[in-house]
Amino acid sequence: MSKRIIIDPVTRIEGHAKISIHVDDAGNVTDAEFHVVEFRGFEKFCEGRPYTEMPGITQRICGICPVSHTLASAKAGDALMAVSIPPAADKLRRLMNLGQFIQSHALSFFHLSAPDFLLGWDTPPAQRNVFGLIAANKELARAGIRLRQFGQEIIEILGDKKIHPAWAVPGGVRSPLTAAGREKIRAWLPEAYATTQTAFDLWRKTMATHSREIETYGNFPSLFMALVSPNGTWEHHGGKLRFTDSRGGIVADQVDAKNYADYIGESVRSASYLKSPYYLPLGCPAGIYRVGPLARLNVCERMGVPKADAELKQFKQLGRGAVTASFLYHYARLIEILAGIEYVERYLDDPELSGDCLRADAGINSLRGVGVSEAPRGTLFHDYTVDRNGLLKKVNLIVATGQNNLAMNQTVAQIARHYIQGTEIPEPVLNRIEHGIRCFDPCLSCSTHAVGQMPLHLQLLGPDGTVLNEVTRG
Amino acid sequence: MKPAADVLVIGYGNTLRGDDGVGPRVAEAVEALHLPGVRTLVCQQLSPEHAAPIAQAQTVIFVDASVDAPREVQFRPLEPNDTTQLLAHAADPRTMLALSRDVFGHVPKAWWLTIPAIEMEFGEQLTPQAQRGLAEAVEKIQALCR
Repeated sequence: MSKRIIIDPVTRIEGHAKISIHVDDAGNVTDAEFHVVEFRGFEKFCEGRPYTEMPGITQRICGICPVSHTLASAKAGDALMAVSIPPAADKLRRLMNLGQFIQSHALSFFHLSAPDFLLGWDTPPAQRNVFGLIAANKELARAGIRLRQFGQEIIEILGDKKIHPAWAVPGGVRSPLTAAGREKIRAWLPEAYATTQTAFDLWRKTMATHSREIETYGNFPSLFMALVSPNGTWEHHGGKLRFTDSRGGIVADQVDAKNYADYIGESVRSASYLKSPYYLPLGCPAGIYRVGPLARLNVCERMGVPKADAELKQFKQLGRGAVTASFLYHYARLIEILAGIEYVERYLDDPELSGDCLRADAGINSLRGVGVSEAPRGTLFHDYTVDRNGLLKKVNLIVATGQNNLAMNQTVAQIARHYIQGTEIPEPVLNRIEHGIRCFDPCLSCSTHAVGQMPLHLQLLGPDGTVLNEVTRG
Repeated sequence: MKPAADVLVIGYGNTLRGDDGVGPRVAEAVEALHLPGVRTLVCQQLSPEHAAPIAQAQTVIFVDASVDAPREVQFRPLEPNDTTQLLAHAADPRTMLALSRDVFGHVPKAWWLTIPAIEMEFGEQLTPQAQRGLAEAVEKIQALCR
């Protein structure tokens, strides 16, 4: 008879979820599931709306990832209009997306994950958080907040609003970067570089003392998917899709966003509202793939900026072919922060950024438009079908957290196999399972449009559904 | 850190979820009044970087929708949490005050203005109750700033 452990809800991730762990009669973990228990319904809500409203509407799916949704939505609008947007608009959108990467990754690294590295798995949750981090290293906590502020300020300067900038629109953007805004961003750069260096120093110490976690927190073969440029350089807003395998081989390359459905299937599990996408040619679950920082760094050949390229070289040495350890999502995030700062600096010096043509104008020229952009957590798809008047008939959103769903299940199962013995669920094991999920920095607001925060509930269940043990936190 | 504003009004909530958006609407209404020495901040949820502007204010008013409070607008003084946990990407006002204290060394005088929320399904409309709460909240803020 097998059994099941459930963790519900999980802390320090966005949204509401629980975790079930199945064990057999001998107490061996056989499987794990990351459930999302809030209903989304957002795609239905959007039907009948004009496509021009979508960048403004979809950015309100989530308070953490509004920029990602507004940019993917604007790109879907570009596709419906069948236009190429002006170069200045493309670079301005990229600048905003880099601000989003910096602020989101800074929160994930400094305030959600660093307490685990610095304070240890045995530290109680009441201390193993940002306040524990402040007590242990106030300057680090403060620098992390400032780095996030830097990213937010880029977004605010461009969009004139920090949280819901209705700035990216189908065809381009509404307004340019002012000279004052450019200099304000530039003034942040030295501090941003210095903070990132501090974070790399911390990370190198973490890697030296966490070899077991690197081995056991979601270290398994899978495919990886992300956007890359035509020559294989790291991308975050343009380019096309590339799938690679765990040996680093390219499985599919330069896939046009509009053809994503030929490559990605979506399975739905009865226990969760979170869709589980998979690589269609291999089927489910063999087609498990990961997205986000780890995937982007695995699929690309270079970052395209010197400091981050030097780090990428070191990163790639951590795997044979691909880097398969999910614990190294944290390292990948830091490299993307560094790349983000370097690209921001480059754009500030780019005269094309100041072009005065910011928006292509057209009506509906295609009844279906797919916009794909890299969000901090991974590849984000907005797929719209409209009528001749531009009113939405069908909306499909595929978000990063969903695409990592199968990988999160495997990660929880792997950690549980290593650390759970019998039906006891000691506190440090809960902490480790939570951190395994946190490596992916899931955003369940995006996945399901959940409201509220996420405490923790774990259940251990037998094959007949009997709850053998249960822990609730928060 | 020197105070940069006398009063900071922070309205938070999701404007796409019915009455949950009443906090941001209050902040927008206060912004439109151009009250001297008053700044506003609108966000979907509180997060750590908000500790910086909070630490720069002398008084902070957090405005939020409330589903489990009494059916009236409440205006309560707030103190920072002694020991607390930042659970997710979002935080509550007491956590933000504690962050302001621990990271930036200053805790402003703080108030929590909560408005009863009735409907929080998808939609941008406020219920009549939330609209009344909005008007009352703006009056309370004006009275505090006089």
